[in-house]
Amino acid sequence: MIEATGLRKVYGAKTAVDGISFTVQPGKVTGFLGPNGAGKSTTMRMIMGLDRPTSGDVIVNGRHYSQHKAPLHQVGALLDAKAVHTSRSAYNHLRAMAATHGIPNSRVEEVIEMTGLTAVAKKKAGGFSLGMGQRLGIANALLGDPQTLILDEPVNGLDPEGVQWVRNLARYLASQGKTIFISSHLMSEMAQTADHLIVIGRGKIIADTSVDALIESQSRKRTLVRTSETTRLSELLARDGVRVEQNERETLEVYGVEPLRIAQLALDNRVLVYELTPLTSSLEEAYFQLTKDEVEYHSHITGGPTGPGGPTGPGGPLDASPAGVGAPSAATMEGIQS
Amino acid sequence: MSTTTVSKKHAVPSAGTSGVNFLRVLNSESIKFRTLMSTKLLLVLTFVAIVGVGVLSALVRWNVVNQMVTVGRQGHTMTAKQAIESFPPGQGFDLYNLPNAGLNIGILIMGSLAVLFIASEYATGMIRSTMNAAPGRLSTFGAKAVVLIVVSYVLSIVAGIVTFLLASPMFTNFGVDLGWSTDGVLYSVVTGGLYVSGVALIGLSLGTLLKNPAGGITVLVGIMFVLPFAGQFLTFAPGDFWKYVPQYLPSEAGGRFLSIGHADGILDPWAGGLVFLGYVILFMVPALIALKKRDV
Repeated sequence: MIEATGLRKVYGAKTAVDGISFTVQPGKVTGFLGPNGAGKSTTMRMIMGLDRPTSGDVIVNGRHYSQHKAPLHQVGALLDAKAVHTSRSAYNHLRAMAATHGIPNSRVEEVIEMTGLTAVAKKKAGGFSLGMGQRLGIANALLGDPQTLILDEPVNGLDPEGVQWVRNLARYLASQGKTIFISSHLMSEMAQTADHLIVIGRGKIIADTSVDALIESQSRKRTLVRTSETTRLSELLARDGVRVEQNERETLEVYGVEPLRIAQLALDNRVLVYELTPLTSSLEEAYFQLTKDEVEYHSHITGGPTGPGGPTGPGGPLDASPAGVGAPSAATMEGIQS
Repeated sequence: MSTTTVSKKHAVPSAGTSGVNFLRVLNSESIKFRTLMSTKLLLVLTFVAIVGVGVLSALVRWNVVNQMVTVGRQGHTMTAKQAIESFPPGQGFDLYNLPNAGLNIGILIMGSLAVLFIASEYATGMIRSTMNAAPGRLSTFGAKAVVLIVVSYVLSIVAGIVTFLLASPMFTNFGVDLGWSTDGVLYSVVTGGLYVSGVALIGLSLGTLLKNPAGGITVLVGIMFVLPFAGQFLTFAPGDFWKYVPQYLPSEAGGRFLSIGHADGILDPWAGGLVFLGYVILFMVPALIALKKRDV
């Protein structure tokens, strides 16, 4: 169990983590999601006592990490795949770490085997690929058979088999009643691994919810419409304030309206529609939706939608900018019914 | 959440249930020290360098003395004993300190090794694994210090003894009385080891403070080798006061600790030793505070 209260970390002028509070429960895999620079790694470093919080507090299994008598048995962490001396072999690195807790070498060999490092264990860690480095970091985290496991971007650089293995490991350990806290910026990965999600953006928690609830709350109805008269149909829809996007020729994506209503509108106006497919929002899209305003490092492409005061108000033609969640779709449905 | 229940599940026996303590951290640090090829090579190199430079330095002394015995100074030849005694003490012609003739090179390498012992962990990121395993932090510094003291001490003493064994016959051939029982020989062996250990502790502190191998080694070399050179210029400054300042530099005070005998105007050996110890503490205290307080 990890409990953070008002956790805050300021580096100079930059607030990396801005007073967050959350609880990571045992027996579950909790995903810690956020764009790059959102404060995930800083939070994890504070949990492990490596960085001192500017204010607030975080405890693991009831105490500050450094106050545990046998910290490696309490918490195992992969914070950085490169937390290894490059000239030392993987085996000797683990042996040195194990020695601090009197963990026998047989356990070292056990985690080497578990993580599939047997073939390279005697080689210098500096020569490891990113994936091998991750495996060594995970082996390091598992060394003390900890009650709580903290993994910062564990699947980075892993091959598909390795990704699968991390997923199964996390699920298995959670089923043993352990606390598993995994950070990632990949929603698709978390969707398959986590039970619970904590989403962070710009140092603040945006969502703290179960995976299912998150999809539910963020997903919006979308319908793929194929028609030869895209311009006319989108004008008809836009008249009712419905958001429409055209991504391909003869294909429209219509937001927030039931397919039946689109069909009705098309029929009433004698527009030929030859496909109507309801699209469900994936977790990935829910995540983008959630963090779109919180991304610290945008990859900018100039020429976005017009600024405030532009001609595209509500009900205007082909609103390119994403509409708000929830409320507008209700309003547009009203519009269509009338 | 106000109450917390720590799950008291039994740990899987294969990982054990022991906690972290100083002896275990010491074991961990000694494994780290032993499992780097570069460290082992550097230790061999240090030994060879101390003995090699020591014997070379002895040869230089032998050559000067030999000149005075065979060719003579101002037309007078003298015995080897007279020749050696014609130099004031501390000018490098004392024979009792032959074991430490190559010690300066040992200081350079062991000091650098000490900087690397912790700074390379910062450079590679290893320090985060280290601090996770021993979150008390200070125990890691203590364990590294113990490993360095033991290694420096044993290495310097063995190298000193070997240097003396190789170099002393050159002078006994002159008929000079020089052996293990000669005043100051054993003393210089013992104190030489302490001096190198002290420099290693300064190196470890610098490595901790600067987190950077190159920076740490540069500062160490500056303190131990450039400062005394600069100190030489001070003695040319007007007034007597400045003449007495350079002897308080770490290298000079430490060097004085290795010699014997009282001389007017300079620190006694024990006082030199205390001044040097003061420097060791002066570097260690901020390093320990930084290690404890700083973000890793």
